[in-house]
Amino acid sequence: MEKKVSENTVIELKKITKRYGYGDTESFALKDFDLTIKRGEFIMIMGPSGCGKTTLLNIIGLLDRATSGEYVLNGENIAGISSKRQARLRAKKIGFIFQNFNLIEDLPILENVALPLVYTGHSKTARLKNASNALKRFHLQEREYYFPYQLSGGQQQRVAIARAIVSNPEIILADEPTGNLDSRSSHIVMEELKAIHEEGNTIIMVTHNPALTVYATRVINMLDGQIDTDIKTVADANLPQPISVKIMKKKPETVAIIKKSRSNKTKKRKNRRRKK
Amino acid sequence: MASLIKTHFKLAKIAIKENRTRSLLTCIGIAIGVASIVLILSLMGSISNLVKSEVNNIGNDLIVVRPSSTKSSITSIVEELTSSNSFQKSNLTTSDVNAILKVGNITAVAPIAISTNTVSSEKNTFPSVPILGTTDDFIIIEPFALKFGSFFKDDDESKTVVLGSTLSLALFNTVNSTVGKMVTIMGEKFMVIGVLDEVEKSINFDNVDFDNALIMNIEDLDRITGSTQIQQINIKASNTDSLTQVSADIEKALKDNKLGDENFSVTYGDQITHPASSLFTVVSGMLTLVAAISLIVGGIGVMNIMLVSVAERTHEIGIRKAVGASGRNILMQFLFEALILSVLGGIFGLVLGYVVAFFISIITPFAPYISLNILFLTFFTTLAIGIIFGIYPAIKAASKNPIDSLKHYR
Repeated sequence: MEKKVSENTVIELKKITKRYGYGDTESFALKDFDLTIKRGEFIMIMGPSGCGKTTLLNIIGLLDRATSGEYVLNGENIAGISSKRQARLRAKKIGFIFQNFNLIEDLPILENVALPLVYTGHSKTARLKNASNALKRFHLQEREYYFPYQLSGGQQQRVAIARAIVSNPEIILADEPTGNLDSRSSHIVMEELKAIHEEGNTIIMVTHNPALTVYATRVINMLDGQIDTDIKTVADANLPQPISVKIMKKKPETVAIIKKSRSNKTKKRKNRRRKK
Repeated sequence: MASLIKTHFKLAKIAIKENRTRSLLTCIGIAIGVASIVLILSLMGSISNLVKSEVNNIGNDLIVVRPSSTKSSITSIVEELTSSNSFQKSNLTTSDVNAILKVGNITAVAPIAISTNTVSSEKNTFPSVPILGTTDDFIIIEPFALKFGSFFKDDDESKTVVLGSTLSLALFNTVNSTVGKMVTIMGEKFMVIGVLDEVEKSINFDNVDFDNALIMNIEDLDRITGSTQIQQINIKASNTDSLTQVSADIEKALKDNKLGDENFSVTYGDQITHPASSLFTVVSGMLTLVAAISLIVGGIGVMNIMLVSVAERTHEIGIRKAVGASGRNILMQFLFEALILSVLGGIFGLVLGYVVAFFISIITPFAPYISLNILFLTFFTTLAIGIIFGIYPAIKAASKNPIDSLKHYR
């Protein structure tokens, strides 16, 4: 029974706790945090500063380790794996998009995009070909040999998105990807993310901008290291397509999930204990 | 893996190019150390070559017996540095020479005993003149040309000496023949019977500067100095084919004569290349030590620059880790950079060392000595320097926390 659920579940966090400091200085970025993320969801995480959004993203992205709790990725508990395996999973399954783009200034954008493929063991020609294709998708193919400082913020962020998707990861994590951009560039970047989502990718994005939630299928509001509200949005209706394409045989189950989430939407507030 | 190594290589190249001045200065640090080592090795090699060519000129029927050092090398080196006599302590004696004389297939045996003493003529007095005690077989084995007079004979009743050309000039202030004039050593008068032609080879397998030396019969030397030590015995075999057999016979004869004491070496052919003086060993050892120290200083320079580089590129390390680089990947990246810096410095040093060796060869007889051994030694030394001094910064880079690194800006 549980196996069937995990077919559709990409990430399952159980009782994740992240503690900083000890004794008097002890504080919790996340406390007994439970979250299940299904394939093809576009989740936006919102909440005030210091509520643990970025910590959550770092833990999901395997850049950080939880103090306690279980992290199940594709049905495998990876809470205590070695940092070497963490790195390998980051290279293969996770794409990161940052607020400040985080491109390497000394490398042309083509090589910046190809960077994750270096660590998955692709040959040089395969790397450059894939990176070139990814850049083409974002209409940057003529600037392959530009350096990051020669591009505008919006272009740099599109390069960063190209880098995030170049190795076909299962999850794309975005930490305020539009935070440093003007509204026009923000719009372009969000449209690109939407397009990527529509191809069936799972996206988890942290944002402060409520206007962007129209792109999401699910909006999670966090407060003090726990989920405050967890809402499925209208865009959720678009969810079935990628899922039905990806896992055709499980179609009836997918429908059931959508029904369930719609009923959640009417309730507006979700029960925190969703472990069952 | 191969592709990853290529990538690391390329990344290191980019990083080195980005900081051209810094990398160049670091390379120079390594280059100076390597250059001095190359220079010393080249000089040592060319000295060996000089001796080798001299031995070849004399003929390939030469066998040389030398004492081995009876003490450990360091104590003997220290002893030689502190004692006024810079010649090796020897355990070869006249009875050993007599024992060798009994071995078959030998045409000549010349013991060489070296001492220094004050030599004076009626005009000048010189302290510390090298005095070589030998027999008349010496001129058979090493056919030195004489400018004036003749070499002494063992059965001469008169006390006679042969002078080096420079010594002759210095003692008597004349380039003309000094045959027949008298010199005084330790209060005894000796007659000059011959003057050597200019030799101009201060480095040879006898380890004697013949231009400045005085040659006399070993028995006379024995008498005036009280005791002499034979530094070396030169032997001429009657034919070249039986060298191995003859040298084995000599070894056996010496062993019997010395009651099993084996502190001597019998060499022939190319093995006679090692100059006898341990002063030479001391000097080259000291130079190598200084070179090694400068190489270590260069290595510390590499480490310093790598630490700066790691600190500067913390943000990049964060990005690389976020997109999937493991600690090992980062470690290799920075280790490669250190290796390339130090090997590049090694190549510069090799070139620099040979350029200096070439200039030295203009004013001295030491031709630059190029060998594959020196190339390999340079390569592996710089590789080792790169690893030793690059590993700590690389480990530091690899162990950086990705989240903190991403927050870090230049």
